[in-house]
Amino acid sequence: MRYKKKFGFLILLLTLIFFTNCEKDDICVDGDTPLLIIRFYDINDETKLKPVPLLRIVGEGKNTTVNTIADRSSKLDSIGLPLKIDATTTSFSFIKDSADSEGEVKTETGNIDILNFTYTTKEIFVSRACGYIANYEDLGNTITTDSDLWIKKIEVITTTIENKPGAHVKIFH
Amino acid sequence: MLKSFISICLVLSCFNGLSQNETTNTTTEKKPLQYKEAYGLRVGVDLSKVLRSYLSEDYTGLEFSGDYRINQKLYVAAELGNEKKTMQEDLYNFTASGSYLKLGVDYNNYSNWYGMSNSIFFGGRYAMSSFSQTLNNYSLFNSNRYWQPENFVPGSDVAEEFKNRNASWIECILGTKVELFANFYLGASVRLSYLVSNSDSDRFPNLYIPGFNKVTDGSKFGSSLNYSLSYFIPIYKKAKSPKKKKGKPENK
Repeated sequence: MRYKKKFGFLILLLTLIFFTNCEKDDICVDGDTPLLIIRFYDINDETKLKPVPLLRIVGEGKNTTVNTIADRSSKLDSIGLPLKIDATTTSFSFIKDSADSEGEVKTETGNIDILNFTYTTKEIFVSRACGYIANYEDLGNTITTDSDLWIKKIEVITTTIENKPGAHVKIFH
Repeated sequence: MLKSFISICLVLSCFNGLSQNETTNTTTEKKPLQYKEAYGLRVGVDLSKVLRSYLSEDYTGLEFSGDYRINQKLYVAAELGNEKKTMQEDLYNFTASGSYLKLGVDYNNYSNWYGMSNSIFFGGRYAMSSFSQTLNNYSLFNSNRYWQPENFVPGSDVAEEFKNRNASWIECILGTKVELFANFYLGASVRLSYLVSNSDSDRFPNLYIPGFNKVTDGSKFGSSLNYSLSYFIPIYKKAKSPKKKKGKPENK
């Protein structure tokens, strides 16, 4: 009887140790560097969401479109854009009515507006598996003026970009 | 020659037997023979930590353990150690380094046969550790690979040290100590720990605590193993107190 008790205790202890060794620490599920979330609104009715027709977004210095949105879609009224972690500014070309010209050399025929976001990067430790991620603070923006801006107004809702739902920037067009 | 030697031995053994009989007779008449058990201090070193220090480049550690017998089953026990461990995670590398002290008791639950002094014990400890953590290098995790298709953005590569970290925890122990030869013991134990306090910071939490072992995300439990070689220094001898229980007369 006494030995049974001892044996039971041993099994309990070994089970507990077994369970403490099952760790979720190997896969990062707890966090990620957030995206800059932009929503498009109607300039005439500032509470109404309005998708941009055939929207294409290209990062400055890249020859590929941003990988977070469907290219040349006319249904997007809310998008997420990745910012550069190792810089304090990231520029994108926002192209409305994006299309290729006909002919041998294909060129963009849509209306290109270049928007520049400025921010500071903050490093945050998330968990053992994820390590550090970046959050952004002091978000600001400048637009490169050209003769035909389709973006009429830009409004920063929140200057801090964290992993929280909700848009950071409103674009009116 | 050989014959005479054997016969001498035989004769002597007769005397030996006689004399033994006489003494036992006299003692049993007056009072029962008492078996005296040795009491004293047992000091040892953790073999696994020494071995790991030799085998692994990322680890150096040394632990001294000691226990002092206070009665039939109870021992006051302590461990004092120092550990330095470097861990490489996916996106960062850090080193934890510091010392710890564990104080508590061991309760021997094994009834030894005559002359033996082995133990299977349950124990408890209160432990505290004072250490530092150094973040050697790290990169910033980002699942979006648009700007950096190849690698992650490195953070600072200058080592950042977080000093004056401390933690305390309680341990529940199941272990054994076996006497290999006179006064030398080989011991092994498994330890389940529960963190009581842990000085953390948002910038870099404690992921490894010397003496406690690895700290798991969102859990206060930890576990460790211990293999020790110890030497028993006898100080005095005391008779085994007779058992109060009935029906077990052989253990007097």
